[in-house]
Amino acid sequence: MLKVRNLHVFYGGIHALKGINVEVKQGEIVTIIGSNGAGKSTLLNTITGIVKPKEGEIFYKDKKLSLIPHKIVANGICQVPEGRLVFANLTVKDNLLLGAYLRKDKAEINKDLQNVYEIFPRLKEREKQMAGTLSGGEQQMLAIGRALMGRPEIMLLDEPSLGLAPLLVDTIFKIILDIKKMGKTILLVEQNAFKALEIADRAYVLEQGRITLEGSAKDIAANPKVQEAYLGKRVTE
Amino acid sequence: MTGFIQQIINGLSIGSVYALMAVGYSLVYSIMNFSNFAHGGIIMFGAYFGFFFMTLYKFPFSIAFIASGICAALMAILVERVAYKPLRDRRAPFLYFIISAMGVSIFLENIIIATIGPTFRTYPEVFSTQPIKIGNMAIGRIDLTMFIISAVFLVLLIYLIDYTKIGKAIQATSFNMKASALMGINTDFIILLVFGLGGFLAGLAGVLFGMKYTVYPQIGNITLKSFIAAVFGGLGSLQGAVIGSVLLGIIETITSGYISSQYRDLIAFVLLIFILVVRPMGLMGKVTEDKA
Ligand SMILES: Nc1ncnc2c1ncn2[C@@H]1O[C@H](COP(=O)(O)OP(=O)(O)OP(=O)(O)O)[C@@H](O)[C@H]1O
Ligand SMILES: [Mg+2]
Repeated sequence: MLKVRNLHVFYGGIHALKGINVEVKQGEIVTIIGSNGAGKSTLLNTITGIVKPKEGEIFYKDKKLSLIPHKIVANGICQVPEGRLVFANLTVKDNLLLGAYLRKDKAEINKDLQNVYEIFPRLKEREKQMAGTLSGGEQQMLAIGRALMGRPEIMLLDEPSLGLAPLLVDTIFKIILDIKKMGKTILLVEQNAFKALEIADRAYVLEQGRITLEGSAKDIAANPKVQEAYLGKRVTE
Repeated sequence: MTGFIQQIINGLSIGSVYALMAVGYSLVYSIMNFSNFAHGGIIMFGAYFGFFFMTLYKFPFSIAFIASGICAALMAILVERVAYKPLRDRRAPFLYFIISAMGVSIFLENIIIATIGPTFRTYPEVFSTQPIKIGNMAIGRIDLTMFIISAVFLVLLIYLIDYTKIGKAIQATSFNMKASALMGINTDFIILLVFGLGGFLAGLAGVLFGMKYTVYPQIGNITLKSFIAAVFGGLGSLQGAVIGSVLLGIIETITSGYISSQYRDLIAFVLLIFILVVRPMGLMGKVTEDKA
């Protein structure tokens, strides 16, 4: 479904991605794990057109993907960005409606709004509240709900569990699995490698701009190097 | 007492035109995060467009008025494309934008001086100078017209921003351009739209000021007042910009009427510094933050 070929990205002199190859198939959860500064967010931002690559190609359904963000969204690709980036100056409901910005089917939009409220009842209660007044966890729910409003085929999630209490982390991962069951494809970037590998089908390890390992989530989780570097604490517990 | 009410009415009239300028300035600021000093140049061009449409082409006032707004809007868009977009594409620091804006402002003023000349020009008489009498108050027809026209366009603008889908997209883009792009909003178009809207209102304000006073190459300096008003009301808040402008207009006319017009600008600027020190977010400025 989504294929990234030999992607090179630079920030001025910094070579952030050094020839990345990644593939995501229809209906999969693929996770990218890697430490701080490995280039995970850069990869997602390049796919969604926020950052322009120097070299390399991205194919979506075997067609070359546009480089312009709003056209990429129109293709059915939606990113839930790192740090949520909810529109603090707008209400929860307006945030959700902006997620459906490119859609014109009013009745269906309304239906999806009710669906999102069903998945996240907390958002329904706070419908008229300014998004900036939500707690961090509520903002994460809003960011995911807002992405769902666009009816994407593939969702790119950038560290959805960042800064959340353990109980809420479990909820978020459960919801990601539910979204998969809705028939959506997911590319998940996570620091929480243990949880991510638990729900993913396949995984890539990204280190300093290079993919150093790839395989089924099970194999990656069992890999001694990964256990030491990313799951270390868990294994000794 | 009637004198006082009359001052208030004059203040409302001047203030509402300041508001036309301030909302455009504030809109651009909220999206681009820099002070668009070229705004004054657009106002000046609006005043000249109106003048020539009415004298050279003999357009009736209403058509000259709207046409000037449209021409000013196109100019504002052109300025964005030529002077700011290349900087945006390179992600240049904000200081570069401000310097570019000042350059544009000086360029616009001088191109008028070089081609049309520095002389003051007077609009043809559109509204009779005979004031409207209510009781023993006399209200100038121009003042009343300025107030009504400005109020109508301000209400339309606030409706557009607060109650329409494109308005929400403008608000979203002003909050975070990356997140807006991820929603499928064409942020480049939103930027053009905001410059266009700001330019249109600036053009209208230019015609109104040109009509009330005269037209001259430095007329754009009056935008300094709208900058004050926008900061006074709270940058980025349209309602704030309107309230700040109207208050500024009233303070000015009252100062001129009861103290001396010499003190008018002095008091306005002292007020600005005072507000910045005491309440940096302005009267209506919102304190919203992104939670990590
Ligand atoms: N806008 C930018 N300008 C310059 N350098 C950047 C920029 N964004 C990222 N980088 C650099 O690119 C590298 C990769 O950053 P990226 O944000 O993709 O890492 P990440 O894997 O998402 O890290 P984290 O887990 O901390 O979010 C880092 O070295 C970072 O400093
Ligand atoms: Mg990151």
